[in-house]
Amino acid sequence: MARGNPWDDEFLRIRLLMGIMLLMLIGLGGWLWHIQITRGPSLAEDQNRQSMRRVRLPGVRGRLYDREGKLVADNQPSYTISIYLEELRQPGSWDRTIERVEALLGDIEHIIGVPSILTRQDIRNHIRRRLPLPLTAWRDLDANAIARFSEQAGQISGVDIQPESMRVYPFHKLAGQTIGYVGRADIQQDEEEPFHFYLPEVSGRSGLEKTLDSYLRGEAGGRLLRVDVTGYRRYDFKQREPKPGRDVMLTLDMRVQALAEKVLGNDAGACVVIDPQNGDVLALASNPGFDPNDFIPGISPARWKELNDDPRKPMVNRAVAGGYAPGSTFKPVTALAGLESGRCRADDVYSCPGYFTLGKVTFRCWFHPGHGALTLQQAIERSCNVYFFHMGLTMGQDRLAEMARRMGLGAKTGVELDAEVAGLVPDDAWKRREVRDAWRDGDTCNVSIGQGALVTTPLQMAMLTSVVANGGRLYRPRLLRGVRESEDDEFVLQPPELLREMNWAPANIDLVRQGMRDVIGGSRGTARRVALPGIAIAGKTGTAEFGRKEERKRHAWMIAFAPFEAPRYAVALLVDEGISGGETAAPRVRELLQGLLMPADGAEGHG
Amino acid sequence: MSSQKIINLWKRMDWLFVANLVALVLVGVLFIYSASSRQDDAQLTAMTQRQILWALVGFTLFFGAVGLDYRKVNRGAFVFYLATIALLVLVLLVGRKISGATRWLSLFGILIQPSEFAKLGTILMLAHYLSEPGRDLTHPRTLLIALLVLAVPTALILEQPDLGTAMTLVPVVFTMLFVAGVPFRYLAILCVLGLLALVPGWFTLDDYQRERLLVFFDPGRDPLGAGWNSIQSSIAVGSGGLFGKGYLMGTQNILGFLPRTVAPTDFIFSVIAEETGFIGSMVLLILFALLAGSGLRASLASRDKLGRLLAVGVVTLLFSHAFVNIAMTVGLMPITGLPLPLVSYGGSFMLCTMAGLGLVQSVYVRRFRR
Repeated sequence: MARGNPWDDEFLRIRLLMGIMLLMLIGLGGWLWHIQITRGPSLAEDQNRQSMRRVRLPGVRGRLYDREGKLVADNQPSYTISIYLEELRQPGSWDRTIERVEALLGDIEHIIGVPSILTRQDIRNHIRRRLPLPLTAWRDLDANAIARFSEQAGQISGVDIQPESMRVYPFHKLAGQTIGYVGRADIQQDEEEPFHFYLPEVSGRSGLEKTLDSYLRGEAGGRLLRVDVTGYRRYDFKQREPKPGRDVMLTLDMRVQALAEKVLGNDAGACVVIDPQNGDVLALASNPGFDPNDFIPGISPARWKELNDDPRKPMVNRAVAGGYAPGSTFKPVTALAGLESGRCRADDVYSCPGYFTLGKVTFRCWFHPGHGALTLQQAIERSCNVYFFHMGLTMGQDRLAEMARRMGLGAKTGVELDAEVAGLVPDDAWKRREVRDAWRDGDTCNVSIGQGALVTTPLQMAMLTSVVANGGRLYRPRLLRGVRESEDDEFVLQPPELLREMNWAPANIDLVRQGMRDVIGGSRGTARRVALPGIAIAGKTGTAEFGRKEERKRHAWMIAFAPFEAPRYAVALLVDEGISGGETAAPRVRELLQGLLMPADGAEGHG
Repeated sequence: MSSQKIINLWKRMDWLFVANLVALVLVGVLFIYSASSRQDDAQLTAMTQRQILWALVGFTLFFGAVGLDYRKVNRGAFVFYLATIALLVLVLLVGRKISGATRWLSLFGILIQPSEFAKLGTILMLAHYLSEPGRDLTHPRTLLIALLVLAVPTALILEQPDLGTAMTLVPVVFTMLFVAGVPFRYLAILCVLGLLALVPGWFTLDDYQRERLLVFFDPGRDPLGAGWNSIQSSIAVGSGGLFGKGYLMGTQNILGFLPRTVAPTDFIFSVIAEETGFIGSMVLLILFALLAGSGLRASLASRDKLGRLLAVGVVTLLFSHAFVNIAMTVGLMPITGLPLPLVSYGGSFMLCTMAGLGLVQSVYVRRFRR
């Protein structure tokens, strides 16, 4: 071994080896710093991503009350039995776990005597898509089954009873279309963070449930689950409690609603009752209807088909979505328009020979012998067509249409129902656009008596009745009376919404109101049978022809308000196919008003 | 051996070295318990108990080896080497096949891994050969024979196949040649030849080995397959942060993202790093640094070349295991399946390590008789 080269020294080489090893360990330490300190947070985040699952928890929906505080839409616990798969997992293939679950389902079936809703495929799908969540095996169980289960549940592990909130409509068919129903909400992808497992809440699908959804809807909470590598839930990590929705008090009075539906009986039609002093809709009835409970939790295909195929259209809320010619119930509008325009006067007298000739066309009065010479007030009382033909032609269609619109026709009232239609107040521009023909005097005659192309909804007619009843204040008809934040709070009532003041000359509105009072109270009124002892009622009947003439189909109308001096109720009632307003609608209005103003049990009506 | 002699040896023991060793074994037992904590109780205690048992047998072996004069051991080096070679052949003939590789022999119901003993055999044989008086280290024949000593067990281990274990012998032999005094130019040529051998070597690899190497360069290549362990291990180590998640709180391990088959063995460091953080991994690195340092101190203190080479060989073997193991758990090296000495669960390697470290102490306690 040659001397001189220092590396010939064995000891030096061992020391060099020591140095190299030390350097390697320092390098490794540096790398560990990089991984654990520099990249630590991002790797911890990676870990959370792979082991955390976000589950959305739906918030409980707010309830609906009527104005008296009766529950109209409630949540009731419905019991479900859920299986916790992580407690049943079997080593080896999934099939063994599935078999274990199936065996367990069989045992529970034996105990509670109700077959499970699950198929093997359901279990498989659950394992594939929603493994960390409990598997719902029975829904909507009754108390007996739950009792039987509870007695023996101690022996079974991996199974639990969970209450789920289910919508219930205690009044069943009453106001069914108006209240509407709920269904499983669509998954909203715009929420801030995507959820791995989305337990949707219900959302309003129709009626008030739909339009008031923003109040009723709860705020979803969330739960963070830790899952293991196979996807089973290990433990709950964090939870944000869901927030329940707000309770809503409606303007509806279910007692009035029940009366309104009772007087409609089995006939297709609608009935709306409004408080003329504030626009509160006390009843909004449409017949035939449906029981919204049928839609909870989901409607059966057979029932759905039945509802949609029914020629009487129970799904349509006639009170707001039904467009009808108002017939003679429109005459107060004609009268007010004529008087307010200054073109007509209350003491104008026209003679009715039973018909009216306009060029080559002859319009008939409904009373073929003719009413003879009449003043306006008498014309309203007896509903003389000829008088109103004269009036319409005297003032012209534009003035008539303007008054009709000012009183709320031809536009949506803005009630909280999105099924509402606007109706139609026709004019020259409309006719040129739609029919490609000019407006003629004959059209004016038709509209003057509420016929022709004029289309109104029962709610619009009730709103119109209100504005006549209260002397000229047009309120937006409303169904939402108040909202409360939680069960511990009071309802915060919303003020009525005055749309416009009519500023009618007092003499004019007084005359029309007197005319309407005579309809019931006068010696020759068309609705004398409505009269109730001791209570002054005003109203107007209407019989609107529709369909082909030879079919002689008629809508039977009546609008009314009472008591005359200080009206508390404004009513519009329509029967789809009736004989006439006086014969078909008037008795029902009488029954309704009697129920409202003279309750048999002595209880006072609302207000 | 007289009792006086034993007392003398006892007094000369490097107690820092022994303390280090005990510390590492304890860390191992603690975290094998943690790594298997998500398994049912029976298995949990079984694994930990077995490791304690192996450690106790290991310490017996350690103190036994300290008591043995390494020069006496040296006389049996060739026989021991041949015996390990024979075991390796036996493995290939009648070995137990576990997940695609034939690495184990079943001996009275206990699985042993002869390749671990072959490591020790190779070190003993090479130290014996290189330290023989009058050996001309500058002669090419010496180098060739040394390489042959390496090549036989390496080839047999590669045949199992066990690339990781086979490769750990290369730095050991290289370092021993270096320390023994083989001229630098030969070593340089060895390096060049080694690099050249990589090319044909690549094509003789099995598909899974090639895949592991490819995955090392691109862990996202197969995140659910070959890349899984690497990615999950990095996540475990990284998410430990500075202080770790606490003992028995390693999420990656509890939730099974670190496969439970490897968590107590090859990936025990991931469990330690996740639960004790950067601080804990540094403590572990320092323990290994001290172990290597005191091992090399024994080498420096040795009164003869045989002792020096034995100590260097054993220290290099354990150091490269520790380095490669930790490096692979943090994505610095391909996944090779090497255990972390004294810490990872496993009997054969524990015994081999203890015996090797016992030899190192055997050299150290006999340092004064020059």
